[in-house]
Amino acid sequence: MTTSRFRRELSVAAAIAVISIVMAIAAPRFFAPENQLDLLLANVPVLIVAVGMTMTILTGQIDISVGSQFAVCSVLSGVLASMGLPVWVAALLTCAIGGTLGAVNGALVAWFGIPSIVVTLAAMVGLRDALRWATEGAWIQNLPDGFQWFGLSQSGSAALTAGIAFSLAATAAWALRNLAAGRMIYATGSDAGAARLAGIDPRRVTFWTFVTLGVLTAIAAVLNAVRFNQIPSNTGLGLELKAIAAVVVGGTAVTGGKGSVAGTMLGVVLLGTIGPALTYMGVNAYWERAAEGSIILLAIAADSIHIRSGKGARNLATARA
Amino acid sequence: MPATLQQRERRTFWQRWSPNGELCILLALALEIFVFSLVAPNFFTRENLFEVIRLSVEVGLLSLALTPVIITGGIDLSVGSVMGLSAVVLGACVSAWHLPLGVALLLTLLTGTAAGALNATLITRFNLPPLIVTLGSMSLLRGIAEGATGAAINYSNFPPSLLFLGQGYIGGIVPAQFPLFLAVLACYAVLLHKSVIGRAVRAIGFNAPGARYAGIPVARRVGLVYLLAGVMSGLAAIVYVAHLGQAKSDAGTGYELAAITAVVLGGTSVFGGRGTVWGTMLGLFSISVLQNGLRLAAFPSELTGVLTALLLIATIVSDRLARRPATTQETEEFMKNSQLAILCGTILAGAALVAGTNVWLFRSLAAPTQVGKKPVIAVMPKAKGDPYFVSCRVGAEEAAKALGVQLIWDGPVGLDAAKQNEVVESWITRGVDAIAVSVENQAGISTVLRKARSRGIKVLTWDADAAPDARDYFINQATPQGIAETLTDEAARLMNSRGQFAIVTGALSAANQNQWIEFIKKRLAEKYPAMELVTIRPSDDDRDKAFAETQTLLRVYPTLKLVMGIAAPAVPGAAEAVRQSGRTGVNVIGLSLPNLCKRYVHDGIIQSVVLWNTTNLGYLTVYTAAELVEKKLQPGATGIQAGRLGEVVIQGDQVILGKPMIFNKSNIDRFNF
Repeated sequence: MTTSRFRRELSVAAAIAVISIVMAIAAPRFFAPENQLDLLLANVPVLIVAVGMTMTILTGQIDISVGSQFAVCSVLSGVLASMGLPVWVAALLTCAIGGTLGAVNGALVAWFGIPSIVVTLAAMVGLRDALRWATEGAWIQNLPDGFQWFGLSQSGSAALTAGIAFSLAATAAWALRNLAAGRMIYATGSDAGAARLAGIDPRRVTFWTFVTLGVLTAIAAVLNAVRFNQIPSNTGLGLELKAIAAVVVGGTAVTGGKGSVAGTMLGVVLLGTIGPALTYMGVNAYWERAAEGSIILLAIAADSIHIRSGKGARNLATARA
Repeated sequence: MPATLQQRERRTFWQRWSPNGELCILLALALEIFVFSLVAPNFFTRENLFEVIRLSVEVGLLSLALTPVIITGGIDLSVGSVMGLSAVVLGACVSAWHLPLGVALLLTLLTGTAAGALNATLITRFNLPPLIVTLGSMSLLRGIAEGATGAAINYSNFPPSLLFLGQGYIGGIVPAQFPLFLAVLACYAVLLHKSVIGRAVRAIGFNAPGARYAGIPVARRVGLVYLLAGVMSGLAAIVYVAHLGQAKSDAGTGYELAAITAVVLGGTSVFGGRGTVWGTMLGLFSISVLQNGLRLAAFPSELTGVLTALLLIATIVSDRLARRPATTQETEEFMKNSQLAILCGTILAGAALVAGTNVWLFRSLAAPTQVGKKPVIAVMPKAKGDPYFVSCRVGAEEAAKALGVQLIWDGPVGLDAAKQNEVVESWITRGVDAIAVSVENQAGISTVLRKARSRGIKVLTWDADAAPDARDYFINQATPQGIAETLTDEAARLMNSRGQFAIVTGALSAANQNQWIEFIKKRLAEKYPAMELVTIRPSDDDRDKAFAETQTLLRVYPTLKLVMGIAAPAVPGAAEAVRQSGRTGVNVIGLSLPNLCKRYVHDGIIQSVVLWNTTNLGYLTVYTAAELVEKKLQPGATGIQAGRLGEVVIQGDQVILGKPMIFNKSNIDRFNF
């Protein structure tokens, strides 16, 4: 039972193990602590967004506007900070803005019954172009001195960032398993009708997962923005694909109701490792995308071969996007 | 996903033509046409109608292919990547291997078919979710195209018979790709609405297990729609290559999103089971008319995204409202009074916004008539949001103000040769006086620039040149060779002509950067044999990615002495990585804007930035264009009085801005761009 439940997680873990072994032989310097820290910090935004995305996908919805939300939040955090607000206040306000963006998506999905892919497609295109219109491509420069690294030292900020990311992921993992709210998310995603009969309001659950994702995206944006001393306005392009890829590669079913934060974290590790690992191996950058694509396809095809040999073909409906 | 929506089959006229709210989108399309006829010059003409159709064919083919895919409840994100791979195959077959055209076309379609078969196999045989499969194949197929061509090879020199398909007009009026598109449209309409397969596809979308119990071969039918999507992507690649006259690995980037938007806007349900070809066409044209109209009216193209978003939400919400009496119990329940109030409020707000935009539209309609015959100069950057071009725009606007000409500044948001063509086409239709283009792709844009010249429009190129006979003058800020040599010499000076260095470029497929890299390699071979270029990493014009790539570089190559960034955001990204690594003895140089690099130059991390004065480049471009329009600049001139720049030298058909400058600690504070 347990192996079948965590089959995707296991095959992703196996893929990571294979890459690690290859790296340990071919380029042991890959495991140097400084390199691991760099990789961790580079993947913090994807990790935090992917944790939120896991909840959204667990309810059977999807949010493809996170990249645009990320860009809006990054730019606004910089604008707020350069208006003279202390960086902490600016960060909190940015989270509120992220929550609001998420709430708009969530309300349209939950109470207006519009499919989430349509709502967030509109938000993705609309927010991105509105931001381009407002900034005309200009970067946010002249940030106050206390902005970068929250005014802490570089290592202090790195520790803080990693700490926030891990505690968020751990909290989410724990809450999804143990809190009533977490179980409601699984119940909504498994069968909204049955959840309602059980006294859960699926619309409220859906709404709040979008708000949570919005806040998490804002946190990711702030944590990323403070690593630098200027903020480009075209940031976050393609973030939605990275986050969704990490979630689904980590075994969360796009039909909802099945998946885990642990799987998502494995997905983030796998996808975040492939690129740098290939650089260490000296693979030509031009082939990198092809290698990434084949590793994703192999990792997910591997676990379906288990299924075929085990239980025979499942019906298509359960595998449908 | 929530329980499948129930649909009651009722065959009234209304239900037949608008089963998924297609009439709402028809109404929106009619409104767009009405408004743009009033505000956009030459919008409501036969010529422009065909132009809109011509430019919609590639995305149109993909959206047709995606309609049945989405009706089965699936998705195909890989169609744009399949286009890229097929385009490269076509290019290689025709230009490199000189195969007969028929064989080449067949191989291209086969490539698309093979890619479709890969998706179909993984989805039906291995029971994998289409979203993940096509997400993976999206990377894989684009990656193969990039890897095989080094992302740089740009096939051109296609035979005229192929180019006719994309650029020709039958009888001088009807675009050549139009009949092809109609034929495919007819096939899909029959397949989806008049055939057993179409009904099967719908049934699968409603309920796959149910369909199987009803005796439908589910896996075969699902496989078929993905296979057809591959074939259509191959066909779209052929039209794309014929249209642009060039084939590169970045063909069709982002087209999947445009196609999905068209399908969804046309009322096809992403839960599966519902959707029409007719709706998809309405969705497609409501977006392309919007783009075309905004361009002709010279409104900021960013409005396209904002308005598309409103359109998506508004049509679906109004469809929900219109259906309300006929809804099932489930949908009735979600519509309480308070929620209805919110809904009405949202729609009212949307209407107010649209009305507000309209007022603004009409106001700006009045503007051109007031100023009379102000010359209109249209200037296109390679990428609108790029800081480099943002700073060029400052100079362009300064010159336009000084000369009293109207400046239109528009272009693609990212590097996109096809989009550049579209914008130039719409400027020709609008009838501007002069066009100045920073060319992303020579082969691609020269044809359409020649067309502009034949209509009496003055054509300039700036920043990057087209074919010499396609333009009147080229504003030459620096040759690729000059840039490359300056950068290499500067690197050599800092490295004492020996040791390892790495390049962080923009996108791997960026034509300019690839040209510079070629010349840098050449210069190294000729003059600096002891310097080793260890690797070239892409930054995709993203500062954060440049940062991460440089961090990895610094770890992989411990003896690295210098990082050279050759895209504006790459240099500050690389510099921040060097700073945070705490490594000393690694220099950063590159091609970027002084304002983005000032801090790092003063901190001693960036040694020097190579660039010309971008503000002056924009200024000179608009100045030359205005002189040309007013016939003050005659052929054979050897110089031009360009306002605050004074006398600028003209050599042949090139206006020379001057040599690239090197910015460093001593002079960087004197510049603000």
